[in-house]
Amino acid sequence: MILDLIRQMDTLAAGERCTVPIVDDSQLELVRRWSEATGNTLVPQSVPIPGASTSSLRTATVIRGRLRDPATVLGVDRMPGTRLWIYTNFNCNLACDYCCVGSGPRVDPREIGAERIVPIVRDAAAWGVQELYLTGGEPFLLPYLGAMVVECAEYLPVVILTNGMLFRGAGLKQLRAMPRDRVAMQISIDSPTSLIHDRHRGLGSWQRAIAGIAIARAEGFRVRVAATVGGDDGVDAVELQKFFDGLSIDREDQIIRPVAREGASSEGVLLSTETLIPEVTVTAEGVYWHPVAATDPDALVSSQIEPISEALDMVRALFQEQWHNSASQVSAFTCA
Amino acid sequence: MTDVLTVGAVAYSPAVVGVWEGMKDYFADSDAPFDFVLYSNYGRLVQALRANHVDIAWNTNLAYVRAMLQTDGGCRALAMRDIDTVYSTVFVAAAGSGRTGPEGVAGRRLALGSADSAHAAILPLHYLEQEGVDLDTVTVIRFNSDLGKHGDTGRSEIDALEAVLAGEADVAAIGISTWEKIGEGDFLPGAVEKVWQTPVYSHCAFTVLDTSPPERTAAWTRHLMAMDPADPEQRRVMTLEGVKDHWAEPALDGYRTLFAAVQKQGIDPTW
Repeated sequence: MILDLIRQMDTLAAGERCTVPIVDDSQLELVRRWSEATGNTLVPQSVPIPGASTSSLRTATVIRGRLRDPATVLGVDRMPGTRLWIYTNFNCNLACDYCCVGSGPRVDPREIGAERIVPIVRDAAAWGVQELYLTGGEPFLLPYLGAMVVECAEYLPVVILTNGMLFRGAGLKQLRAMPRDRVAMQISIDSPTSLIHDRHRGLGSWQRAIAGIAIARAEGFRVRVAATVGGDDGVDAVELQKFFDGLSIDREDQIIRPVAREGASSEGVLLSTETLIPEVTVTAEGVYWHPVAATDPDALVSSQIEPISEALDMVRALFQEQWHNSASQVSAFTCA
Repeated sequence: MTDVLTVGAVAYSPAVVGVWEGMKDYFADSDAPFDFVLYSNYGRLVQALRANHVDIAWNTNLAYVRAMLQTDGGCRALAMRDIDTVYSTVFVAAAGSGRTGPEGVAGRRLALGSADSAHAAILPLHYLEQEGVDLDTVTVIRFNSDLGKHGDTGRSEIDALEAVLAGEADVAAIGISTWEKIGEGDFLPGAVEKVWQTPVYSHCAFTVLDTSPPERTAAWTRHLMAMDPADPEQRRVMTLEGVKDHWAEPALDGYRTLFAAVQKQGIDPTW
């Protein structure tokens, strides 16, 4: 079997793979030791999916050479498990036509609830998550958001993704309750003028978002801005950047991303779990591969949320498998 | 572009492209960027070096010896892998054969790799003869499965090993690299054992013509020697090329036996 492996390996380019049949774990261990000793890479065995049938045919797959370290290629802050996303709710005061999860005013809120979110965040921090992203829907529609964020921020720094339109009355009170040193706002602005932003998000939404940025900053919060740019809108990324510069938003706090073909959007960048670097995402329905696909059944990792450490372990293992299978094809889709 | 060096190598495996792309990337920001050309065999590579089509040839030991013979000694080695300074040939038999030392090969069926492989064909016979083995008593079984590649693919050595495992040969001569690829026998548990190992000799070397000004390749050699296995990307490329830990100064004494073997066995210096 090892001689067969050597023969096959010598015909491969770096990064290509070959497969040999194995009969038991001892042969798998032999292949593992051989791969380690010869500078090649054994592809991790498939992560078992509960309830799935397993084949009696066993193989070991080896990649020629060593894979690039994903932390080096992607950056440590992009490694799966570094960030945790939570969809606090799916209802929203807006009904953006490209919303990747199809949120809107009449959408079932599907709230997770503070009583579940805070323990999830606590356990995620203990597991090793470094940052928490709360999104929706519109999180500021939740009457308990402020108190919940105060508790979450004890465990992790928090970024809240919001349209910035609800910083008045009860919303402002909630905002003011949050710790400035541990919480940042990420407010959506799609264009340097109201025309395109309002076309997708609703009349007057651009003006109120701009006002929201000013309010959040006046309240002492770090503000990030995120633009979702459609191919037909003609929004110039450079112009948008200049506009954000004019708002005194640091370049590192400016996120410009394409529309994803998910949720309410029938157009945009086509994404799949095979090629998308995971960012663990929790919704009321379960744990998903990535926030941009948080209603996509194909992206559901597990319908069981707690304990979150199990889901994080699973995504990390699946990512290892993904990296070994398609390291040259995977890419990040930046939501924050 | 005129100042960019050209390195020639042989495409003995698809992985070679990855090696040289990686090396090119590593050199890209240095004082000595280079491009590379791959040839299908070492005969062509040595021709290209002599014709100044390449500045530096990544030669096997036989290619180095042939380049020296074809130029009346007008070549210079720049560097080699750490493993090239301590290369050797291992004679392997089926486990439990009881054969040890060079005499364990005498009177036996000896499987050799490709005829132009210094480590799997030329030097094994040379060292056996030096140790007093009467080669007329040895039945040589040749596996010329990667001619032109000087044994780089390792294919002919695997063929020789399989002949031993199949009982078609008593002993196989394989390079230390192949011996290590099978974990010195550990990865073929209970199947093979070492009979004898030759003294060390030198293997591959980056080679230039003496007419090439030293200053033209000095920066390139310095940057090569500075490759750092602590850097994951550099280590990836080094491992792919078979470097264990570092690039090394050329060990020229290690070519003496091959010069002698080529002369003694009448091996064509130009082919």
